[in-house]
Amino acid sequence: MINLLARALMMSTPLLYGSIAEVYAERTGMMVTAIEGIFLMGAWGGFVVTYLTGNLFWGVMTAMLVGVLTAALYGWITVYLKQHQVVTGVAINTLVLGLSAFFMRVIFGIPITPLTIDPLPHIHIPVLSKIPVLGVILFQQNILTYIVYLIIPLSYFVLYKTSVGLIIRSTGENPEAVDVAGLPVERIRFLVVLLAGALGGVAGSFYSIGFLGLFTTNIIGGRGWIAFAICFLGNWNPRGAFFGALIFGLAEAVGIYIQSSGVELLPNELFIALPYILTIVLTVARRSFNVPAKLGIPYKKEN
Amino acid sequence: MNKPLVELKGITKYFAKVIANKNVSFSVNDGEVLALLGENGAGKSTIMKILYGLYKEDEGQIFMNGEHKHISSPKDAMALGITMIQQHFSLVPAHTVTENIILGNVKGRIDWKAYEQKIGELAQSYGFDIDPTARIKDLPVGLQQKVEILKALYLDAHLLIMDEPTAVLTPQEASKLMGFVKEFTDQGHSVIFITHKLKEVMEVADRIIVMRDGEVHGDVKREDTDELELSRLMIGRDLKPPKKSEDAGGKDRKVVLSVENLSVIGSDDVPKLTDVSFDIREGEILGIAGVSGNGQQEICEAIIGAIPSKSGRISLAGEDLSEQNIRERLETGIGYLPADRFRDGMIMDMSLAENMLLKESFGDKWLKRGFLDHGRLRRYTEDIIKDYEVKAPGAGAMAKGLSGGNQQKVVVAREVGSGGKFIIFNQPTRGLDLGAINHVHKTILAERDKGKSILLVSTELSEIFALSDRIAVVYKGKIQGIFDHNDLTIEKIGLLMAGYNDDKGVQA
Repeated sequence: MINLLARALMMSTPLLYGSIAEVYAERTGMMVTAIEGIFLMGAWGGFVVTYLTGNLFWGVMTAMLVGVLTAALYGWITVYLKQHQVVTGVAINTLVLGLSAFFMRVIFGIPITPLTIDPLPHIHIPVLSKIPVLGVILFQQNILTYIVYLIIPLSYFVLYKTSVGLIIRSTGENPEAVDVAGLPVERIRFLVVLLAGALGGVAGSFYSIGFLGLFTTNIIGGRGWIAFAICFLGNWNPRGAFFGALIFGLAEAVGIYIQSSGVELLPNELFIALPYILTIVLTVARRSFNVPAKLGIPYKKEN
Repeated sequence: MNKPLVELKGITKYFAKVIANKNVSFSVNDGEVLALLGENGAGKSTIMKILYGLYKEDEGQIFMNGEHKHISSPKDAMALGITMIQQHFSLVPAHTVTENIILGNVKGRIDWKAYEQKIGELAQSYGFDIDPTARIKDLPVGLQQKVEILKALYLDAHLLIMDEPTAVLTPQEASKLMGFVKEFTDQGHSVIFITHKLKEVMEVADRIIVMRDGEVHGDVKREDTDELELSRLMIGRDLKPPKKSEDAGGKDRKVVLSVENLSVIGSDDVPKLTDVSFDIREGEILGIAGVSGNGQQEICEAIIGAIPSKSGRISLAGEDLSEQNIRERLETGIGYLPADRFRDGMIMDMSLAENMLLKESFGDKWLKRGFLDHGRLRRYTEDIIKDYEVKAPGAGAMAKGLSGGNQQKVVVAREVGSGGKFIIFNQPTRGLDLGAINHVHKTILAERDKGKSILLVSTELSEIFALSDRIAVVYKGKIQGIFDHNDLTIEKIGLLMAGYNDDKGVQA
């Protein structure tokens, strides 16, 4: 049971990075529909560099960088060229699916056995990890999970207690008001999309170098979209995203646990599908949303 | 002599290839109320947005106290003490008063308590009854405007530009605003007031700049001019307002449209209309007056069936419409000119002829052996273009290529054509220039004289008074009373629009 909860927290970590990324971006009116592709690029870039250098730190940094690059492409097309956010995102997701597979071949050819690396180690925090039950769940995780503990309260603070947060929140509600206040709407949106790219890249790397230690082109398998949905379900705030990510992480952990326990109550596929079913159920069940008023709408100024 | 506070010299601005401002020069002095008067599209807002840094001028220069200044963003303007209140307020509805006021004017960590207190005190010092923690979406429009003014005061503005500030206000609120303008300029500050209403100009301005077609056509002191001269400068010619024929036997004519106890609940479970009842007789215009957003839209949409009513009965010439769908209702002879022609009235990417066909596309009126009779439709549209003096190259012209006034004439023509018995005109002249307004008014009166019943919704009181036989005033989805147009004064209608009623006081 304790192991299951520890596993759940681990599985929710990348979803948290992803959904926080969406919270920031969507608060400025930008749906980062390229999130699935950003995850995939993060997983790919993180793996490749870690494999070649043997250095996990540079792996995570590279994941962040390719996440930012993918987001920059998305942001350039949607913010500056004012193209449709959903269409652009789908196009980029399809593009990087091909790109990552292509570059794996270019770099590694067709290996006979799957390429693997040692994933990020679990760090036992001194003293705290010795606390019964909670210590095992909370303080025997890898570095990315520890960082995310800080990101949630930090994001809450930034969004609600600082001028930057006020600007971010206002941009998604009424970009015109931001413009009239003398602030550059497009630059704000573009920068926040880049931030989302950095967070999304790290999220993606969690799957390849965070615990699996390998890369396949279907490694993300829709988890970017789940992070996207968590942002909606969490009502565009960090706390909501936190609880949403925990629920999905738990669902994933339960799925893995039941599969590996060998008990065959129901077909395995059902448990693999659990997070996806949950997404649909929760999205339908959630009734009122505080959608940012200008979500998905490009800001066009006559000039 | 002192240098003027702000001086604009030879400002020219193009949008794509269309000229919006042409060699515009004028100045504003300390302590002065300057009115910028002109029709829609005369370039008033454009020149002010240039001064405020929202647009970049193509030619010309701006001087402040004799010094040449570059204003490339509202930040620059604010640093120079210039702020502008946009016609459509630039507030974030989901945020609080405080959040809106300090947006862009704080750095780093925000101490909400301190800012809320500061803004509360500022509001009090000007006698504004505003709660700094209230959300904008919960405030009535009049208060939202005060928040915008407060924002300017918070920034210590020395020059305040207001774009059509009275458009959303009741007459009483408007006169309070004028009071504020005087108080503000008495402190040595200056105000530029964009408007197309001559009365306001005569009431508040020290000096008047008249603009037409992007150019300055007059720079006059108030005491040296009158409304007639101003209107001539503004339009470039004399305009004869249409004359309404008095109708003697109105009370004996038969009722065409009857609305009884109509109630509508909005999607947010808030009542939008409560127990609305009125009749409109043959050859009669019933005007609905009220501040925008008090149920006018819902009345129109409930009558044509675009929104469901919770209870009540609507009948046209004795026929109960309540159970009919939109199409069945329209076929009984209802014309409906929607308030927002971009959203509900036209398809901008279609030709004029196709737009004429829009509402009858499902019937066989325009069919010949199962196919569209394009020839007949084109001839019909060409006739409309001629009769309504629509400035358009022909029936095949795209709707979006026409000016607002000409688009509106096309929609008016279509609705007059399809409304055999009864026509709803919802804000028929909003955003039009005086020439087009005149034309639309003439059309409405002509239809009345043909015996049609007309429901006229307007937030312009002058329009309501000029056209209506009877006037209903709405407030928060209720009818405050229905009056003969001779029995109402501006004063009384203003109180009714603000929710006051003779015997009941403020309505909940």
